[in-house]
Amino acid sequence: MKVRMLATHVALPVLAIVAVGAQAHAADFDWMKFKGRTVTFLANNNPVAQALLTYKADFEKLTGMTLKVDGYQEQQMRQRLVTVMNANSDEVDVFMTLPSREGEQFAAAGWYGDLTAMAKNEVAKEYDPAGLSQALLKAATFGGKLTSMPMNIEGPIFYYRTDIFKKCGIEAPKTIKDVEAAAEKIKTCDSAVTPFVSRGLKPAVAYTFSNMLHNIGGSYIAGGKSNLCSAKGKEALDTYSRLLRDFGPPGVVNYSFQQISALYRSGRAAMAFESSNELRTVMEGGARLKDTGLLPFPAGEAGQVPTTIGWGMAVSSHSKQPDAAWYFVQWATSPEVQKKMALQGIAPPRPSVAKDPEYRKWIDEEPVRKEWQAALDVLATKGSSEVGYPIIANPESREFIGQAVQDLILKQKPIDQACADADKALDALIAQK
Amino acid sequence: MSDAAATLTQDRQKLEMATLSAPAVIFTVAMIAFPVIYTIWLGFQTFSSTGKQSFAGLANYSKLISDYEFWHGLWITIALYVLSLVLQLVFGVWLALVLFHAKRLPGIVRSLFISPFMMPPVVAGMMWLVILDPSLGAANYILQSFGLPPSDWLASPTWVIPTVALIDSWQWTPYVALIVLGGLQSLPPSVYEAAQIDGASPFKTFQRITLPLLLPTIVTAAILRSVDLLRFFDIIYITTQGGPGNASNTLNIYGFRVGFEFFNIGYASALMLTLTAIVFGAVLAFNRLRGAVAW
Repeated sequence: MKVRMLATHVALPVLAIVAVGAQAHAADFDWMKFKGRTVTFLANNNPVAQALLTYKADFEKLTGMTLKVDGYQEQQMRQRLVTVMNANSDEVDVFMTLPSREGEQFAAAGWYGDLTAMAKNEVAKEYDPAGLSQALLKAATFGGKLTSMPMNIEGPIFYYRTDIFKKCGIEAPKTIKDVEAAAEKIKTCDSAVTPFVSRGLKPAVAYTFSNMLHNIGGSYIAGGKSNLCSAKGKEALDTYSRLLRDFGPPGVVNYSFQQISALYRSGRAAMAFESSNELRTVMEGGARLKDTGLLPFPAGEAGQVPTTIGWGMAVSSHSKQPDAAWYFVQWATSPEVQKKMALQGIAPPRPSVAKDPEYRKWIDEEPVRKEWQAALDVLATKGSSEVGYPIIANPESREFIGQAVQDLILKQKPIDQACADADKALDALIAQK
Repeated sequence: MSDAAATLTQDRQKLEMATLSAPAVIFTVAMIAFPVIYTIWLGFQTFSSTGKQSFAGLANYSKLISDYEFWHGLWITIALYVLSLVLQLVFGVWLALVLFHAKRLPGIVRSLFISPFMMPPVVAGMMWLVILDPSLGAANYILQSFGLPPSDWLASPTWVIPTVALIDSWQWTPYVALIVLGGLQSLPPSVYEAAQIDGASPFKTFQRITLPLLLPTIVTAAILRSVDLLRFFDIIYITTQGGPGNASNTLNIYGFRVGFEFFNIGYASALMLTLTAIVFGAVLAFNRLRGAVAW
């Protein structure tokens, strides 16, 4: 599923309803309606939730409700969610979700509460649902049902060392071929640094590889079949794995965002392709503040089709109090809260917040923040939310993409065999009902 | 009191005791039995990617037979088990002998020797992940300081299993040593006195007296470690998540991913029950061995 934002999409019908409905009901809206209730929030302990929960007391003061937070690391959070939902338990009212990863699956399983009606009937005047990223809302709409509200916008972006580029006489790359040429040049010009680093850990590869595939003009599925062995698919697999094998750090097959950020922050990588969310981590200590340039990933034959995703807040279909849960979701995704989160470095999924003078002032304080926002603007206007196969078994599909890339990095298979093995496994997944 | 009356009183006392203890017994049995029975039941179910459930009979078990990842996971599990167990038993016995004979070793040094197994495995995994990072870790820095070539450690399909086995052995060898040390301290001194009088060398004493007498203790340590090693999960999950590729994808890691990442709880249950059967088999085999070496 490919999404093009704002410039290329008119507002979704569902949001038109929400916006019209909001005007009709906003006047009656009472934040204290569910005073005394307790809402349980299953949170991923990532920077997005951490920033949000800084203001937990504000929510409790505004609504008179108690917010019970059940926080875990990402995978453990999903594990807990699977257990709770399979038991049809009402223990969790609100949970964090990545529609690009598990949206199809959770929607088909009926785990998401339908927010369409609540977003229409219970909306505060200041909420402005139409101001949320249309693309992210579309990515969270399954079978015409709105399943989650976006908390942030993110995607992989290209970090590069301006000082090393200058020393080696390299211009900022405009194309994937430029990245390869720059890596080659840096390898001889400054042998102390790793020329290029990106994700090599099997389950994490799809996040960055998808951007490469789409820029090159490839697609995951064609004619209902897995398409990794197409010419573009093989080119993407070959380019991505070659960059990591020939110019990446030793042990890159175990690299995910933690290792990449640590390597780049320590000054030992010249180019890193990693999440926009990692800006804060990469800039910790300030060593990279003045020598880092940021770009969306350089163009391929199909131009720039960056990967754009966002965490969402969903109401559990088993919640006994979806209405009270919706109040929490609404507060957490309101312009006011998202502006506060933006000032902590969480990219806002609301263009209005991105244009807010206070936020702009924060952005303008450092050139690197300006470039970060500029890259995010490209993600917001050109992004695709397709990370892995757009099928119910999306999480499992990422395994086989990662396996093919690792087979090539480790030279365990020739490319024809690696992509054919992946296509065979992925065709079976696509065929699953 | 007549015999009949006494019997009646005894019966009543038994009934009262049974009644009073019944809730605790029922609760305990239920707590043990329910998860097992539920998992067995889940093993006969199939779950679609959307969580829809239906009865599958033995389909999950027949799928095991043709599942390459299952056989690969089984091989990885056994390889890791054998390598780790051998390392831990050999070095555990050696460490126990060192601690037993070094009577004047300060308490703090003894505590340091045995401290790794007190560390949570997740912390140990994180620590070794940093140390063994091929680019930023201390391990390669040390190797290169001595003019040795760097290693990819956990990122090498060839070396990942020996590396994980080394990490686990670093953590659990002291535990084996503690068990063996207990065994050493209980050995009868008279046997050693007799050997000394007969002029036996230290090696002969170890080979002919210490080792045979210690065997029941070593087998006990092997049983305890076998149960843990066959279920090995935490350090692998922290360090490699089963990779690179599927080079460290043990049955336990594979089952976890099938269940909690791909949501196929039925097949994951079948995998885990198969692993449980393997663990039981290993324990039974070692129990027989323990009977054979008892003195």
